[in-house]
Amino acid sequence: MTLPIVFAVMAAGAVGGCLGSLLGLGGGVFLVPFLNVALGLDFKVAAAVSLMTVIATSSAVSAGTAGRQLINLRLGMLLEIASTAGGLTLGVLVEHMSDALLNRMFAVVTAAIAVLMLTRLERRNVLGADVDPGPLGGRFYDDESGRHVAYRVRRLPVALVASLLAGGVSGALGIGGGILKVPILNAWCGVPMRAAAATSALMIGVTAVSSVPIQYARGYVIPPVAAAAVLGVLLGSRAGFWFGGRARAKWLKLLMAMVLGSVSVLYFVRGMR
Amino acid sequence: MNDAEISRLEGHLGRLLLGGVLTAAASLALGLAIWLTGALPAVSNVLLTAGLMVLMATPILRVVVSMIEYVRMRDWFFVATTLVVLIVLFVTIAVAVMNAHRRV
Repeated sequence: MTLPIVFAVMAAGAVGGCLGSLLGLGGGVFLVPFLNVALGLDFKVAAAVSLMTVIATSSAVSAGTAGRQLINLRLGMLLEIASTAGGLTLGVLVEHMSDALLNRMFAVVTAAIAVLMLTRLERRNVLGADVDPGPLGGRFYDDESGRHVAYRVRRLPVALVASLLAGGVSGALGIGGGILKVPILNAWCGVPMRAAAATSALMIGVTAVSSVPIQYARGYVIPPVAAAAVLGVLLGSRAGFWFGGRARAKWLKLLMAMVLGSVSVLYFVRGMR
Repeated sequence: MNDAEISRLEGHLGRLLLGGVLTAAASLALGLAIWLTGALPAVSNVLLTAGLMVLMATPILRVVVSMIEYVRMRDWFFVATTLVVLIVLFVTIAVAVMNAHRRV
C-alpha cells in the first residue's frame, strides 16, 4: 500500500462520513463497496475496516449532538441490548455465511426501506411541547419549526426487532445499521427523524463494538487502512454535521431513499455473481 | 429523571466521546504519518494499535459512565439495561480473546 492508496481510502472515508452523519447511517454503506470493489480488499476486511469508521462516526457525531436533547439516551440504551446481541451473534456466525447470500438479503431489505421512506415523506411525528412524552419519549428544540416539540415512542417491540436486525447487519456487513433503525423508528415508532438519527448515531458505536473486536482478533483490521479510513470519516462527518442542522427533514428522507436505492441495486448485482 | 439530570448526563457522555475520538484520531494520524515514511515500524505499529484500541474502548466507557449515572439517580431499570449491554460486550471480548489465541 502506498501514499495514493492511503489518500484514496481517506477521500472515500470523507465522502462516506459526510453522508453518514447526515443520514445516521455511519457511512459504511459507501466505504464497504469502495474498499471491496475499487481497492480489491477481501469483503470481510472491508467490513471490519468500515466498522472501525462506524465507531469513529458514532463518537464524533454524538459528541456534537450531546446537550441538544436530540439523543434519546433511555430508548437508545434499551435498544442497544437488541443491537449488541445481533452484532455479537452475526459477528461470530459471519465466518460460516456466503457473501452472495448476505448481499442478496441486504439488497431486499434496503429496497424495502427505500420504498417505505418515500411513502412517509410528509410525516412529522412531533407533538406540542406540553404533551407528556411518557417514560421513553423525549422533548427537543426543533430547528425546522423553531419551537420545542415532544414525541412518544410507540410499538417498542418493533423497535427492538429492528435494532436486533440492524445489529446483525452491522456485524455481518460492516455498515452501521442505522440504515435499518432510522426509517423504522421514524415511520412506525413515532420518533421524529432527527431524534431517530441522533439516537441511532449513538447506538451504532456500541453496536459495532459488539462484533469488531472479534474481526480484529481474526486479523481483518489492517491498521494503516483503518487509520486512513477513520481519519477521512472524521473529517467528512464534521462537514455532514454542519449541513445536518440546515437540511429539511423531507429532503433528508428523499436523499436517504435515493442512497438506499443505489445501495440495493449494487448489492443485487453483487449477490447474483 | 428530570431535564437537568438528562442534560448533565449528556454533557458527561459528550465530553467522554469527544476525548476518546480525538485521542484515537491523534494516535492514528501520527502512526499513519510515521508508517508512510517507512522508518520506525515498531513505533508506527504501537501508535496505530493504540489508536484502534482507544477507538473501540470509547463506546464501552460510554456505557460504563451511563451505568454509574443511573446508579446515582437510583433508576434501577436502566441500571439493569446498561448491565445487560455490558455483559454482551464482555462476551464479545471473551470471544475475541479466544480467536486471537487460536490465530497464534
